[in-house]
Amino acid sequence: MTTQRMEIDIQEVPESEGVVILHFSGDLTSECVRRINECFSAVGKKGKTYAIANMAEVTLISSAVLGEFMGCRKRLIEEHGDLVFCGLDLEMRTKLHLMGATKIFRIYTDIRTALNSYKWEIERQPEKFHVSFPPYLKIVPPLRQLVSRIARQKGYGNRDSFRIETIVDEICNNAVEHGRPKADDLIDLTVIIDPDKIEIDVRNMSDPDKVASLTAMLLPEKTDTDKPKPDVKRGRGLSLIKMLSDGMSVECTDRGTSVRVKKVREE
Amino acid sequence: MESHIELSFEDIRGKQHATLIHFIGDLDATNIELVLEKVFNLINEGTVNIIADFKQLRYVNSTGLGILLHFSKTAREKGGCFKIANINENVYEIIEIIGATTLLEIYDDVDEATAALT
Repeated sequence: MTTQRMEIDIQEVPESEGVVILHFSGDLTSECVRRINECFSAVGKKGKTYAIANMAEVTLISSAVLGEFMGCRKRLIEEHGDLVFCGLDLEMRTKLHLMGATKIFRIYTDIRTALNSYKWEIERQPEKFHVSFPPYLKIVPPLRQLVSRIARQKGYGNRDSFRIETIVDEICNNAVEHGRPKADDLIDLTVIIDPDKIEIDVRNMSDPDKVASLTAMLLPEKTDTDKPKPDVKRGRGLSLIKMLSDGMSVECTDRGTSVRVKKVREE
Repeated sequence: MESHIELSFEDIRGKQHATLIHFIGDLDATNIELVLEKVFNLINEGTVNIIADFKQLRYVNSTGLGILLHFSKTAREKGGCFKIANINENVYEIIEIIGATTLLEIYDDVDEATAALT
């Protein structure tokens, strides 16, 4: 059986200076160890400390090469970087698992996911997503759970995720209940999350009178004595958001009313 | 899609006009009408002592909390009580922030709440 010659293509990532993508292909046999070592030395000299090894075209990884990857990773970690893998097929991934490599290397499904992880963990870049939804209460529960799950997936703790779920729920419910009663006015939910905080913005077309009372609720002099009476069933949402968050503002423009809440990660 | 909420009812042995309600799921603005109807049917049938078991209640928002306060007030007006047991710490925090821990009767577990029934 003939071996497929190993090739390495080096790709730089313009938006992330410290990152390099190494596209490996062919059989990574023990004869390739020296070339791999030279390749990592070369990228190291260029100041690249975070290497994403794309293994989508790799047909074999020998234990000698795996050992070399471990050595390269160690050198990158000393420079506060890492070596991660992506694009491995199931068979290759299983082999790496059996060799114990999955406990050492982080493995991503594709280049994009690996890059996103770098931007999140190393560059601490925020991620943003946006949803427009019609003003129906029944749409709010899956939305609040989605945001909470994203926060949890991003490493936020149980308590923070629950608080985020509550904040999203209360702001969106408020927008549905106090927005202009016109079914085709969509509500915009924008979430910007980074490792330290989450910002939630809900924009809708509101009744001007309701906006005034909403703004008044945010005044610092509003205290516990302004809370609804015990027998009142509604009207506690804004107080709850204020208490759970680390900042809240209301902005009114021609494009609608935007309620923005910031929640700092605590856990 | 409304949040899932399930209520199951159980008589409390040795106590008159007393029912244990197990809350399962999320209590929020999408399902309070259903909960209101079920609990008020019970009250209207003569049950004035209620213990709400929150062991499987994952979530409560401000609207849900509003109706819990409403149940408590109504039960008291009818000479009974509305006690809460087995509350999870996230839900407890919401109740605490709203300042309702002094308005609601909260117990560690159902046994403790049952023992407190007159």
